[in-house]
Amino acid sequence: MGRQATGFGRRAALGGAASLPLLRPTWASAAETVHFVVAEYSNATGPYFQQMADEFHKANPDIEVNIDVVNWNSLLQTLQTDISGGTTPDLSIIGTRWLLDFVKDGVAEPLDSFMTPQFRNRFVPIFLQPGSIGGKVYGLPIAASARAMFYNKEMLTKAGFPNGPATWNDVVAAAKKVKAAGAYGFGLQGKEIETDVYWYYALWSYGGELVNKQGKAVAFDSPAGVKALTLYKMMIDQGLTETAVTSYNREDLQNLFKQGRLSMVITAPFLIGQIAKESPNLQYGIVPVPKGTTESTYAVTDSIVMFKNSKVKKSAFKFLDFIFTKEPRVLFNKNEGFLPTTKAVAEDPYFANDPRLKVFVDLMPRAHFAPVIVGWEDVAKDVIDALQSVYLGHAQPAAALKRASQQADQVL
Amino acid sequence: MVSAGRASEQVRPPALLDAWPSFRLLARQNLALLLILPSLLLAVAIILYPFFVIVRLSLSNVSPFGQLRGFVGWANYAGVLADPVFYGSLVRTLIWTATVVGGTVLISVPVALVLQQDFYGRGIARTIVMLPWALSLAMAAILWEWSFNADYGMINGILQGLRLISGPIHWMARADTAFPVEIGVGILVSIPFTATIFQGGLSSMPTDIYEAARIDGASAWQQFRYLTLPLLKPFIEIAMVLNVIYVFNSFPIIWVMTQGGPDNATHILVTYAYQLAFSLGRPGPAAAVSVLMLAIVLTFTVVYMRLQREEA
Repeated sequence: MGRQATGFGRRAALGGAASLPLLRPTWASAAETVHFVVAEYSNATGPYFQQMADEFHKANPDIEVNIDVVNWNSLLQTLQTDISGGTTPDLSIIGTRWLLDFVKDGVAEPLDSFMTPQFRNRFVPIFLQPGSIGGKVYGLPIAASARAMFYNKEMLTKAGFPNGPATWNDVVAAAKKVKAAGAYGFGLQGKEIETDVYWYYALWSYGGELVNKQGKAVAFDSPAGVKALTLYKMMIDQGLTETAVTSYNREDLQNLFKQGRLSMVITAPFLIGQIAKESPNLQYGIVPVPKGTTESTYAVTDSIVMFKNSKVKKSAFKFLDFIFTKEPRVLFNKNEGFLPTTKAVAEDPYFANDPRLKVFVDLMPRAHFAPVIVGWEDVAKDVIDALQSVYLGHAQPAAALKRASQQADQVL
Repeated sequence: MVSAGRASEQVRPPALLDAWPSFRLLARQNLALLLILPSLLLAVAIILYPFFVIVRLSLSNVSPFGQLRGFVGWANYAGVLADPVFYGSLVRTLIWTATVVGGTVLISVPVALVLQQDFYGRGIARTIVMLPWALSLAMAAILWEWSFNADYGMINGILQGLRLISGPIHWMARADTAFPVEIGVGILVSIPFTATIFQGGLSSMPTDIYEAARIDGASAWQQFRYLTLPLLKPFIEIAMVLNVIYVFNSFPIIWVMTQGGPDNATHILVTYAYQLAFSLGRPGPAAAVSVLMLAIVLTFTVVYMRLQREEA
């Protein structure tokens, strides 16, 4: 089974890493080794962190940083195996929405005692918020992104919206024209991770919420939610989306957009870098997520956490201190196309003067994060199932959402 | 037995004499036990320990990171048994196993028969049939996922090229097309192994009975029906059993191609268990599903062995 296959390979890799500290004292007595598991954002991620580790080691010869690059899809499972096996790394990048489970199980170390006020002050405040639980900071925002709508300039100009759609009505009107011209109008994600998020865009834009104020019950089966889903279903039925939405994940939509076959898609700033590399001639613009009754977006952060049973916490934090200084952060954000999470980077001309990134940055004050709730992953799955049943025509929006919310309420 | 005829000469009770060889037998048995002890211990360690762990997990509230948060009795099982997705997956597992194994055997018999014939290029043909075996299941599944991609896939390309379809078919968008495609891929990757077993069986068959049959005027079909098939039967049986065990637990094809979706409509039990454990972070219920799967496979094995014994 897949689980064993990956788990096994992982064990072997870890075994190699774990034996190093035992050998090391014979030839470098003062050395401490920090083991850092890094999620792979792109081909540049591994080399970037290796470079950082080398630079850090040059400045701090007594600390060595071991970088272990893991694919996003197997990251959580890798960490689960390590944690249950008692062989955790010292630091790891994680999806911030996993953090609550880490904290609840007591495997993550609060960082407050290491953080000086100056260190804390480096961050854009809103990005420290998702990594804080119960008033303590457990995760530092290594990456942040928000969502906005990319549109094909040529197609939308012909459709009468040269500056991009502002509202969902604009989207529908533009998609009709684009469809008549033989291309796909609005890209609607229908499978795999974040299929639920693609619907939250519209839900939030109609003023809906995912959970109630206490975080104890879901609130997505509200009129706003039904309205959002009815809108999507209507677009599917009228052929204003790509055909068979349940066979398109986020990457598939981005590919359609890059090939000039899709006129509108909502996604993260990293598509900018992909377009520059893969289809530099594509003329496109970026506008906020379409407005319903209000403006909003979805924001995501990834966090670096320190594990409680690390034996080299001081050295590990010293390395964190280093990679959250300006130059390493600028390089990281340029490589990966994420939003600045520290003030120094946000003020850097490269980011401050980029009109495309500015759309994302300007949306941040109205951004929603995924709810920090135990079991959110379960709820997201229920939502995705409900959405797919509606997209496939097996269920009506209101009924499907009702059912999903009942299932989800059992989890919360 | 010590013969009854000598009983009159015997002073010692015959029971002891009777017991004497069985002492030796016992000693020999002990030696045998001693010799297989290492592998027995290994088997216990490899099979029983994980079994113990999985049963314990299935009865506990387990955090996503495998920490036990307390004993919950049958709650995990009750939760799983109340989930409609479980029953859908169960039914689909049976369909999946029956169709993949059945289809594999049905296709592998003629494939093996053809490869048994002496023809020009047989070596190459055998290699081609064997090749998919060299590919890991996950890689094969990724290949086929691409082939069935609606926009760029080779399948739609070929069908459109032949003008059999006017627009692309979205194979993976709906379960009613995605699941049959997955079954097809499952059959395809199982053929090499199965055909190899059958080839082994065919090459061990005596040739003279066919000559005799031909002389008696048996047609090709009659030769197949009354000679080949009965002689191949033990090989078909073993291929069925092994394939049922492999296919029932086969994870990569479905996980890679649809991850059990859309709308949970292509899950089989093993992908459902995996999703519970690793996408949803619920190792407890996932362990419960695993134990239930083990019970199903055990039942199958017991029934099969019963049938075997009755036949014998």
